[in-house]
Amino acid sequence: MELAFDYRGDVTLEVTSGEKIEGYIFNRNAVASPPFLQLFPKGQPGEMKIPYPDIVAIAFTGEDTASGRSWEAWVRKKESERKAEAARIAGEAQARGHL
Amino acid sequence: MAVPVSQMYTVATYVLAQKLKGVKRYPLVLMLEPLFRCNLACAGCGKIQYPDHVLDKRLTPEQCWTAAEECGAPIVSIPGGEPLIHPEMPTIVKGLVERKKYVYLCTNAILLERKLDDYTPSKYLTFSIHMDGLREEHDIAVCRDGVYEVAVRAIKAALRRGFRVTTNTTLFDDADPERVRQFFDAMMELGVEGMMISPGYSYQKAPDQKNFLKRQRTRELFERILHAPKKGWRFNQSPLFLDFLMGKVDYQCTPWGNPTYNIFGWQKPCYLLQDGYAATFTELIEDTNWDNYGTGRNEKCADCMVHCGYEASAVNDTFSTLRGFGRTVVATLMPTAR
Ligand code: SF4
Ligand code: SF4
Repeated sequence: MELAFDYRGDVTLEVTSGEKIEGYIFNRNAVASPPFLQLFPKGQPGEMKIPYPDIVAIAFTGEDTASGRSWEAWVRKKESERKAEAARIAGEAQARGHL
Repeated sequence: MAVPVSQMYTVATYVLAQKLKGVKRYPLVLMLEPLFRCNLACAGCGKIQYPDHVLDKRLTPEQCWTAAEECGAPIVSIPGGEPLIHPEMPTIVKGLVERKKYVYLCTNAILLERKLDDYTPSKYLTFSIHMDGLREEHDIAVCRDGVYEVAVRAIKAALRRGFRVTTNTTLFDDADPERVRQFFDAMMELGVEGMMISPGYSYQKAPDQKNFLKRQRTRELFERILHAPKKGWRFNQSPLFLDFLMGKVDYQCTPWGNPTYNIFGWQKPCYLLQDGYAATFTELIEDTNWDNYGTGRNEKCADCMVHCGYEASAVNDTFSTLRGFGRTVVATLMPTAR
């Protein structure tokens, strides 16, 4: 559960009803009674609160958004790779109307 | 231009009132994060690494105002993400100003010049511009060429239109003290009201865990940067916090001094760590085990000296002890004696 809480990507929960819920876990409370986690489900508004006992399995299904984004990883890249990545990020921001 | 007397008076009377009321844990600056989406992707930034559907979430103006009222801090700092991306940011700021909050809108300034018309100059509103050094250092830090020039243009435009403008600078372990001093000169020459500086520190979930400063290295670096400060330099932060960065005084962290509210709720325990979220400010204050955090109490805090943990400690020192008050007076009136 702690690994899922620390994970910077979406996970997929399988709950006792058999339903699968994909989303980003942003909070958990292991000392509450019953303990629960909170997530933002992907593609739906609002948040969900799911008691631990209802969770059968957790799969790390989304991309880890923090992976490979360190300063060191950036510096290790070739100049051409850095330029290409900077251009891609600027392009994405532009497409969203944020530049 | 300097920090308005009314702001200093508001903060001083607020702190004294808390002390007279015997409030043990009071907030000084609300860190309000209305979104995590940014138009930059600085390597190592711990605030933007979320799936797209999370980056697309925004706090509503009502949520922002409620958080400000709930916590009661006299100052509201709005970092992000990039706040100027939020379509309702002018409404959010207007509502906070109406509530007489001193708002520091932290921006990388890429959109600032274009958005200035949406805001009204006020003693309550300051644009706090993310500047990590002179052109070369800044563009490297934000991983995009040309951003420094855009920010400088925006600063000039905002100043021309009568806005309060400060800079905020995070210094990493590769900082060159002489270049940082030149950067301070350049910002003062631009005419900003003051500068805010802080050492970088690894956010718990930040991808960059190695490039951040260790405590001793932090003190040495800031001592070299801030010794014999030039007469014209103005810092928009507690002089005792600068002494702390230079190793002249030691403080324990005051994480509740800068409580953080964002799309997940009230963040436990501070702006950097994410040990969970509370639904209300009262729950944050009452249910967080504060003794678990700060220097020597938690390995995640081991080398942290950032402003959002220790500036409130410095302010508290000013108002709690005669020695602290005396140091503040001397550092304020004779900054070059540092
Ligand atoms: S401008 Fe600020 S929020 Fe945006 S990526 Fe850089 S450090 Fe992160
Ligand atoms: S020392 Fe304070 S501000 Fe720094 S990480 Fe720990 S709780 Fe947060």
